[in-house]
Amino acid sequence: MTQIAEQAQQPSQKIPVRAPRPQGPRRERGNVELQALHAWYGANHAVRGVSLGFDAGRVTAIIGPSGCGKSTMVRCINRMHEETASGRAEGEVLLDGIDLYDPAIDVVGVRRLVGMVFQKPNPFPTMSVIDNVTAGLRLTGADKDEVEDRGREALVEAGLWEEVSGRLKAPGTGLSGGQQQRLCIARALAVEPEVLLMDEPCSALDPVATLRIEELIAELKERVTIVIVTHNMQQAARVADTTAFMLSGELVEVGLTEKLFTNPDDDRTEQYVTGKFG
Amino acid sequence: MPETRSQYRDELDQLEASALGGLELVNAALERTAEAVEHQDVELAQLVVADDDRIDGRYLEVHQALITLLATQSPVATDLRLISALLHVLKNVERMGDQCVNVCKMIPLSGNEPPADRQMVEMILTMARQTRTLIAQAKRAFEGRDVEMARDLVRQDDVVDNLNRECFRLALEIGDDADRREWAMTMLLAARAIERIGDNAVDIGEQVAFVVTGLFREFEDASHPV
Amino acid sequence: MEHALYAQSGGLRRRRRVNRAVELTSTVAAVLAVAVLLLVVGSVLLKGLGALSIHFLTTPTALFGEEGGGISNAIIGTAIVVALAAAMAIPVGLLVAIYTTEFAPPRIGNPVRFVLDVLNGVPTIVTGIFVYGLLVAGRQQSGYAAAVALAIIMLPIVARTAQEVLALVPATLKEAAHALGIAHWRTTMRVTLPTAAGGLLTGALVAVARVAGETAPLILLCSIFAPGNLTDPREGLATIPIFIFQASESPSPTAHTEAWAAALVLIAFVLVLNLVARAFYARSRQRMEG
Repeated sequence: MTQIAEQAQQPSQKIPVRAPRPQGPRRERGNVELQALHAWYGANHAVRGVSLGFDAGRVTAIIGPSGCGKSTMVRCINRMHEETASGRAEGEVLLDGIDLYDPAIDVVGVRRLVGMVFQKPNPFPTMSVIDNVTAGLRLTGADKDEVEDRGREALVEAGLWEEVSGRLKAPGTGLSGGQQQRLCIARALAVEPEVLLMDEPCSALDPVATLRIEELIAELKERVTIVIVTHNMQQAARVADTTAFMLSGELVEVGLTEKLFTNPDDDRTEQYVTGKFG
Repeated sequence: MPETRSQYRDELDQLEASALGGLELVNAALERTAEAVEHQDVELAQLVVADDDRIDGRYLEVHQALITLLATQSPVATDLRLISALLHVLKNVERMGDQCVNVCKMIPLSGNEPPADRQMVEMILTMARQTRTLIAQAKRAFEGRDVEMARDLVRQDDVVDNLNRECFRLALEIGDDADRREWAMTMLLAARAIERIGDNAVDIGEQVAFVVTGLFREFEDASHPV
Repeated sequence: MEHALYAQSGGLRRRRRVNRAVELTSTVAAVLAVAVLLLVVGSVLLKGLGALSIHFLTTPTALFGEEGGGISNAIIGTAIVVALAAAMAIPVGLLVAIYTTEFAPPRIGNPVRFVLDVLNGVPTIVTGIFVYGLLVAGRQQSGYAAAVALAIIMLPIVARTAQEVLALVPATLKEAAHALGIAHWRTTMRVTLPTAAGGLLTGALVAVARVAGETAPLILLCSIFAPGNLTDPREGLATIPIFIFQASESPSPTAHTEAWAAALVLIAFVLVLNLVARAFYARSRQRMEG
């Protein structure tokens, strides 16, 4: 029996910090670890004591029914949760051992290391394609000419270069939906983050555009640790190395994707993935 | 709260019932086969052969439906394991039917004379009875997802295996007699076919364990005697 | 048997009648509204066209008793006063709007919005008296005083429109900028404001169009002026609304026609401003919905 198949048949730990690792070289940087993370919207306790690790160089998917807290949890990683009026978080979010919630750390710096792509593509409407990609660099102080090269690289990394190389000065909003989302991915990549958070990045796209982005994710994971929130289980199954299932703010089970979808340990996971609820 | 995907669940349940129903068909075929051997009834044997079409038809129909479910419903976890197991079970059912046909095809060969050795015939009939119990138990184990009952099939199958070895010894003895030698060989082949049916039933038991535990382990392996 | 669809019920006939009645009434009301505007513009056009000429537009008002003057000084005066008012109101209004939509928590933002709405409803004559007491009593009337009063009137208009437009900027844009590690104020300056630019301009133009014709404050603050003073706002300046007011009180019929002509100029100015403002707003909406 192959090694992966063996591992897939081991029971996954009930309260894990890290899922069993698939074999292969691991990147040194970009390891995220959540420890006893809690998050609130006012009085609503949206994330309840989640401890979870995200390996560098891997894609981790977070699945669960609407309102289970998966988006909130992910937004705590780049500290976007506190941007919301009544948002509050407690616990530790460690990036390569450093607690991102340490008061001594500037939140702006956190966001340069942990990038984010949103559900609906949101290129800046007043900027051209190339200005959009370099926005993260230019608006944080870099020189305009120096960043142009990095911007082109980012477009290549996002698989968009061939389609836009002839119209870098055209408005960013003139692209198709799938292209706009890849533009947003390029924009996030341009600042060279170590982690990329993706909050249902394909929900607003057609199936072909969705598949292109899934392929892109498979390429990008060498470069950045990817955490993807999705309500599409087939997408999680296709794209992720590790999958975590959340319910009512709690982490129910985390494990290798093939294990979660062929033989999950927790009955609630079983019920959810087979569509008995959700 | 109304259960989601109820049509899909109903269909899966029906397909399971259909596949396991095939075991009933096999059981009936084996009963008739045993009777045909006992009374050297050529017509009954021909009926069993003709009836095997029903078993084959069931195999094709349920197999196709399961493939369609795989394509359209994206089953995962237990559902996926169940579908995989049912595909195996169908194959086992079809093979069991074929083994019955093999036995029945041999009956005209032994001539329209009374059986040459009563003891051997008795042993074969006992094997058939025991195997039919095996088949019924395998069906119950699958329906009830009873892993213990499935494991017990190994013990039951050992009885059939022992009887088969006895038949072999007996055939060797009879083999010295030139008149009865040919009959003895045919009977030995029939015994072997029934023993194969028993092994198929044990395979079904292994599938039960796979559905329940998600682990595929052979209960006993020909290369690793228990 | 005939299909149920073909059955005509009494309910259907009544529904049709009610539909037609409502349609008719609303059409009449719309026609009425348009008719009123056409009547106003039409009568101003008819009655004022006679006195309108290049000479009229380029000659200062005739001195008391003389004939053959124009409104060039009034035009210049209005331009100066309105420009001063805009220079005061627009930056402040914009900053207030930015503060309440971008930086203030709702418990401060909402009261500020309310205060602006109230300010918007203050009768212009009251604003005029207030500024009179502040700047003119014990001194003299001046263009500055008028500009201040007009600025106070403009402020809530600029601020409220700007607030509406800034609120329309999709939150996801600001989120995207923050997620890139761009500081809050930089996001406002380089993302939010440029995106809302069209709408902000609209707000400013609408405010200008509104105060260009405000008369009550001018009567109190800037109706006494030396004929020779063309551009010094420290003293009274001629303005178009005051010209209209004074010309219409004069016994001479030529003066009346001149009043109509000045009104025509004012309306034309306001109309053009409004059209330009609408064009900018449409473009801005298109961009944001991109």
